Amino acid sequence: MDAVELNKIMKAYDNKLDKTLQLNLSPMNELQLKKTQNSTKKILRSRIYEVVIFSFLAIFLGRYIANNWEQTHLVISGFILHVFSLIALVGSIGQVVLLQQIDFSKPIIEIRKKIELVNSHGLLFGKLIFLSVPVWWSYAIVGLDFFGGIDIYVYLDHDFVVRYLVLNFLLIIPLVWLFNKLSYKNLHIKWVRKTIRLFTGTETMKALDFLSDIEEFKNKY
Amino acid sequence: MSPMKENKKEEFLSTIDTHKKIIYKVVNSYCKNKEDRKDLEQEIIIQLWNSFDKYNAEYKYSTWMYRIALNVAISFYRKEKKWLVINDFYNQDSIYTIEDQNDNKTELDQNIKLLQEYINKLNELNKALMLLYLEEKTYDEIAEILGISKTNVATKISRLKLKLKKEFKKI
Repeated sequence: MDAVELNKIMKAYDNKLDKTLQLNLSPMNELQLKKTQNSTKKILRSRIYEVVIFSFLAIFLGRYIANNWEQTHLVISGFILHVFSLIALVGSIGQVVLLQQIDFSKPIIEIRKKIELVNSHGLLFGKLIFLSVPVWWSYAIVGLDFFGGIDIYVYLDHDFVVRYLVLNFLLIIPLVWLFNKLSYKNLHIKWVRKTIRLFTGTETMKALDFLSDIEEFKNKY
Repeated sequence: MSPMKENKKEEFLSTIDTHKKIIYKVVNSYCKNKEDRKDLEQEIIIQLWNSFDKYNAEYKYSTWMYRIALNVAISFYRKEKKWLVINDFYNQDSIYTIEDQNDNKTELDQNIKLLQEYINKLNELNKALMLLYLEEKTYDEIAEILGISKTNVATKISRLKLKLKKEFKKI
């Protein structure tokens, strides 16, 4: 079938629809004049809560660092957690901005990408868990100090601390690499797929798969 | 209801009436069963109504409608309920077909059915592209609706046409 034949079929179909297609006005008259809201508002609300929580956490950790300025180990631990809370805060603010920009009358690729970026928000937290592995001790130090008033650092052997810090410092490089690797752009790599699925679940995976399809659709000639 | 709002609603209904074919074709391309078709149809009409105030006269009504209808249809197809209204505000079909007395159900129906089957096999984005191509939209318009370059539209369409040709050769 060539373009001319296809064109003929479509013309005939259009003519048929022109004759047979009807608009039923009675249900349309029930259309509420008050605009109906979709559930996007709920997602927006949950992301705003995230922004508030991470803002409080960032402020709290900032104050914690300032109050313990004389004790290096508390400052370092607090600083690490502060960086994590700031990454999460920036991610959540980004989500609020994306949600405000979602408008179905905009081009399809642009809107689908924004929607799927919102749908795959869980990946950020999965990645943060990964990045936390070498610095898990900072959570314990700050947590025990703040909630229990216990400074565990003073009970640790100096050599153990040095060895541990060196090892964890070395772990940072592969983990940052991993952080960048865990993206929808690398879903063709088997272990990336498996890892993301393990840490985020089916919904996020579905969104990431579609993001990958969108990229392909947009760029592949 | 204030006269202004009433006028707005009438303007909206007249726009829907003029372009009802767009909704009908989008719905048929993204839904197989009748119940889903009715739901998607409602969803598109509600979303069009929600966006009606924001209509930008810079674009044609049909471009604006295609964007909304296709964006809604893709979310519906992907079962992303959080992006939809899902409001059973009526039970009847808003757009329906009546029997054409002079219609002889022959080759045309068969070809349309075949085209529909072919579109059904495509993924969400290619469905949109094919639909717009079959609507004889220019490459510029397709690029504007989808948000990809004109060259990309041309390349993808030539590939889809080739596949379509093979599909029709099978029968």
